[in-house]
Amino acid sequence: MKNDSALLIVKGLHVSFFTEKGIAHAVQDVGFSVKKGQTFALVGESGCGKSVTALSIMRLIPEPPGKIEAGEILFRDRNLLALPEYQMRAIRGNHIAMIFQEPMTSLNPVYTIGEQIIEAIQLHQKKTEEQAWELAIETLQKVGIPEPRQRISEYPHQMSGGMRQRVMIAMAISCKPEMLIADEPTTALDVTIQAQILDLLDELQRQSQMSILLITHDLGIVEERASDVAVMYASKIAELAGCKDLFEKPFHPYTQGLLKSMPHLGFTEKRLNTIPGIVPDPLHFPSGCKFHPRCYLGCNDKRCRTIEPELREVALERKVACWYAPGYEKPDDPKL
Amino acid sequence: MTTYIIRRLLLMIPTLLGITIVVFAISRAAPGDPVSLGMGPGGMMDAQRAQDVRVARMRLYGLDKPVHIQYATWLWRVVRLDFGDSIKHHREVIDLIKERLPITLTLNIISFIIIYAVSIPMGILSAVGRKKFLDRASSVMLLMLWSLPSMWVGQMLIGYLCGPPLNWFPPAGLSSNDAGTFPFFPWLADRLWHLVLPVFCLTYAGFAYLTKQVRAGMLDNLRADYVRTARAKGLSNWAVIFRHAFRNSVIPVITIMATLLPAMFGGSVIIERIFSISGMGLLAFEAVTTRDYNVVMGIATIAGFLNLCGLLLADLAYAMVDPRISFEAAE
Amino acid sequence: MDKPVQQKHWGVSYGEMVWREFAKSRFTLCWLGFIVFLFFLAIFAPFLANDKPFVIRIEGQLRLPLFRDLNATDFSIFLAAIIGLIQLLLIGRNRKRIDPSIRSGVLWRQIFINVFILITGIMLLYSFIPRRLDATDYKSMVASGKATGAIFAPVPYGFGRTDLKVREQPPNSQHWLGTDDVGSDVLCRIIHGSRISLSVGFVAVGISSIIGIFIGSILGYSGGKADFLGMRLVEIMMAVPVFFLILTIIAYYPRSLFNIMLIIGLTTWTEDARFVRAEFFKLRRQDFVQAAISLGLPLRSILFRHMLPNAIAPVLVNASFGIAGAIFIEAALSFLGFGVAPPTPSWGQILSLGVSTTGRFLWWLTVFPGLAIFFTVLAYNLVGEALRDAIDPRLREAL
Repeated sequence: MKNDSALLIVKGLHVSFFTEKGIAHAVQDVGFSVKKGQTFALVGESGCGKSVTALSIMRLIPEPPGKIEAGEILFRDRNLLALPEYQMRAIRGNHIAMIFQEPMTSLNPVYTIGEQIIEAIQLHQKKTEEQAWELAIETLQKVGIPEPRQRISEYPHQMSGGMRQRVMIAMAISCKPEMLIADEPTTALDVTIQAQILDLLDELQRQSQMSILLITHDLGIVEERASDVAVMYASKIAELAGCKDLFEKPFHPYTQGLLKSMPHLGFTEKRLNTIPGIVPDPLHFPSGCKFHPRCYLGCNDKRCRTIEPELREVALERKVACWYAPGYEKPDDPKL
Repeated sequence: MTTYIIRRLLLMIPTLLGITIVVFAISRAAPGDPVSLGMGPGGMMDAQRAQDVRVARMRLYGLDKPVHIQYATWLWRVVRLDFGDSIKHHREVIDLIKERLPITLTLNIISFIIIYAVSIPMGILSAVGRKKFLDRASSVMLLMLWSLPSMWVGQMLIGYLCGPPLNWFPPAGLSSNDAGTFPFFPWLADRLWHLVLPVFCLTYAGFAYLTKQVRAGMLDNLRADYVRTARAKGLSNWAVIFRHAFRNSVIPVITIMATLLPAMFGGSVIIERIFSISGMGLLAFEAVTTRDYNVVMGIATIAGFLNLCGLLLADLAYAMVDPRISFEAAE
Repeated sequence: MDKPVQQKHWGVSYGEMVWREFAKSRFTLCWLGFIVFLFFLAIFAPFLANDKPFVIRIEGQLRLPLFRDLNATDFSIFLAAIIGLIQLLLIGRNRKRIDPSIRSGVLWRQIFINVFILITGIMLLYSFIPRRLDATDYKSMVASGKATGAIFAPVPYGFGRTDLKVREQPPNSQHWLGTDDVGSDVLCRIIHGSRISLSVGFVAVGISSIIGIFIGSILGYSGGKADFLGMRLVEIMMAVPVFFLILTIIAYYPRSLFNIMLIIGLTTWTEDARFVRAEFFKLRRQDFVQAAISLGLPLRSILFRHMLPNAIAPVLVNASFGIAGAIFIEAALSFLGFGVAPPTPSWGQILSLGVSTTGRFLWWLTVFPGLAIFFTVLAYNLVGEALRDAIDPRLREAL
């Protein structure tokens, strides 16, 4: 029974980059939906297109050389891709907020953190300077920064990495957005700080029913925190499932490889498992299924080499794009 | 912050001393001296008499004492702003400088203001505009402007714009010959008319350089992560450009001030020579040619002092603008 | 000797990467070609503009006046050009045959040997080639019929020749770019003037770079007290009005080309020093430097073998701009009358004649040398900027 309505629905997103060396299709036919108050994880290796997807939702793709060529992004039933720029600006930071990977370079070094948070507040909310100041201090407190009244006048370079990321989060939630896009929020941080930041995000979500789109390459953090996961490979979604289902029984060989390569407690073998080969160059994708050169199932399969499998729903709330996935084949599929 | 200023001012003193030592050493170490030059071949007088005159003159100018004594006496007087007399002009050096300095300063300050006022918007505009071809072309044009030799530009301008048939601008001087009789506004207009070409020659190179710097800085900063964050907050394009990217680009632009000032003084020498403007540059040139020690030392000291002030201002401005630089940790 | 190893797939070296990026723009390559053209002019100047013919037949005998008139300077320049070519060829051969790990060592040795040969060669040439002065007027000999079969250089004038009958003539069929105030042919003086400009450029920048690197590396490495004192010195150099200082020094000391080069080099090293110092500050904290220090390597090894190759990029870029600047300073000095003494030709000196003593504007004495200075300075600036772009965006590859 669907009583959580979808907050964000992405359909058929195509994003390309036009470079001197050729056209890079960074995102092809990507679609998923994020429900209200829940965390959706978008997982994949570097270069698979997950960050580009996130930036497309915010329409922050630099227009040359990039271009959103097709698709719909429905946010509360409005297509973000069709909005005029000024309406999109009213949504950014206000209804959908985004935090980024590198907190040091993502904050402007010449302004205090207070000034940067207040900038967001005063842009979207009608508050006097004093009210904005108080709200900023409140937000800083919420994200766990001690002595916010003093620290609000500090500069980014005076703070540690973990603190800066908290400031970024504070900036993002200051206008109480319905959705937060977190692009690799913990990759640049120490492991202990990672856990703190992720817990903070959980807590904030619980308090305000905010949806989170979590972009990461680290499957480990996904397992505990997300409700649904999409695994991306080479610009396409390979598998989309509920978190528990994905971890218990992954259908796509890529997901299987990723899970197998994670060391876990009780791991006794001498060598870590890897997926052979490397991620393909977006300018030169392999034919057929993009994963086939590295796939233990499909590397010799003629069909995998020539025909690309589309993303199909094989079970309730489970989609895969693999010829070998259980329940994938349809009677009128070509057989080679 | 005041302690920083005081510290920097104190640091200026040894530097200033160093400058004076350098210039003093050079001028004294060179062959020849002003008395011999002033006397010429001396073929008129017989040898003994010439020798007497020479010794008397040397004593008059204090040139017969050992070098370090000369330096010490000179330094003692300089502290009281007494640079001695010009051997050529037979006037006090400080008077000469007081006469000529305002002219050079006016020229340089006007150029400075024009450079900054025009370069910054141009730099920002050219960074924000999109066309790739225009990008490349404007970069090359700016470089071409920067490569034009100033004496060539000055001479060409004089040759083509000042003589017949165009007669658009006067070729020399700061005021027309009968300007003393003009009432104020026509006098001012005449002054400005005379200033156009020299100021242009002083300005175009600095303009090209600064525009390139602003443009490069803006291009870099517009690509920065924090600009992406600012956009993600929903800021308009203009707010992003001015409040975020430009505010960061300003930092290197200020440090350029420090190098621009000394360079302009050198440029003044050439421009004032070409346009026959009696400012510090021309005075310096004449003094060097005639081995007028006192004037040379005076100009070197004053110019060095002004340059150091410029450096100090630039450092101060830099520390104020970039919060990453604290006043305690200089450089 | 080093064993040349068969080239297995060596990756692209730093120099090759920079060159490839540099060579992408045809526009820049054109200007590089212009610089090569200038070198050509400078090296072959006596063959391009000379009042003595290549061959001439006098009283039945074949003579070669031009070749016999070549002096030690000309031969030194030929020697330098040959050695330069050899070095370039060697670099090409190094790339193909020598293992990258020892390549830079080999290169330094080659450069060292070549410079040694060059300097010895120059000294020998100057000692053994007598100064000749051949004042024969070959042209009148041809005109009067005393000599036949003369082949002259393309611009048949010498830069020292004065002919007051034809002074201050605008361009005509006899003198393609006109004549100056003492009747010398302008085109000839411009061609020979390229020697002055180019040599001042390179030597001055060489001197300033070496001083700058030396001081910058010591300051950047030491930090603390030594750095503090050193920076005072650098500040002094920066605060002194440089052009004025050059003027003063030039005015007081005997005018020679070498003095000018030396002075420009001695006064413009501050920028290089600051670049190297800044780089060294950054490098000092890096692990490989800490490792070198903890291994107890001698200071000069740490500075010059380990840190310097990483810090040298901005110096190389600045060198090109420095050459442009040195050429400009030399031209300005000559323009003001403080450059090389006549009759040695200098573009700035010709420019200064553009306005005659009577106030007439002699456009050909302004436009042509001015264009020469402009294009040369522009070429070095453009190449310098392309070099900077080639070195920098290497780091900007990551999208």
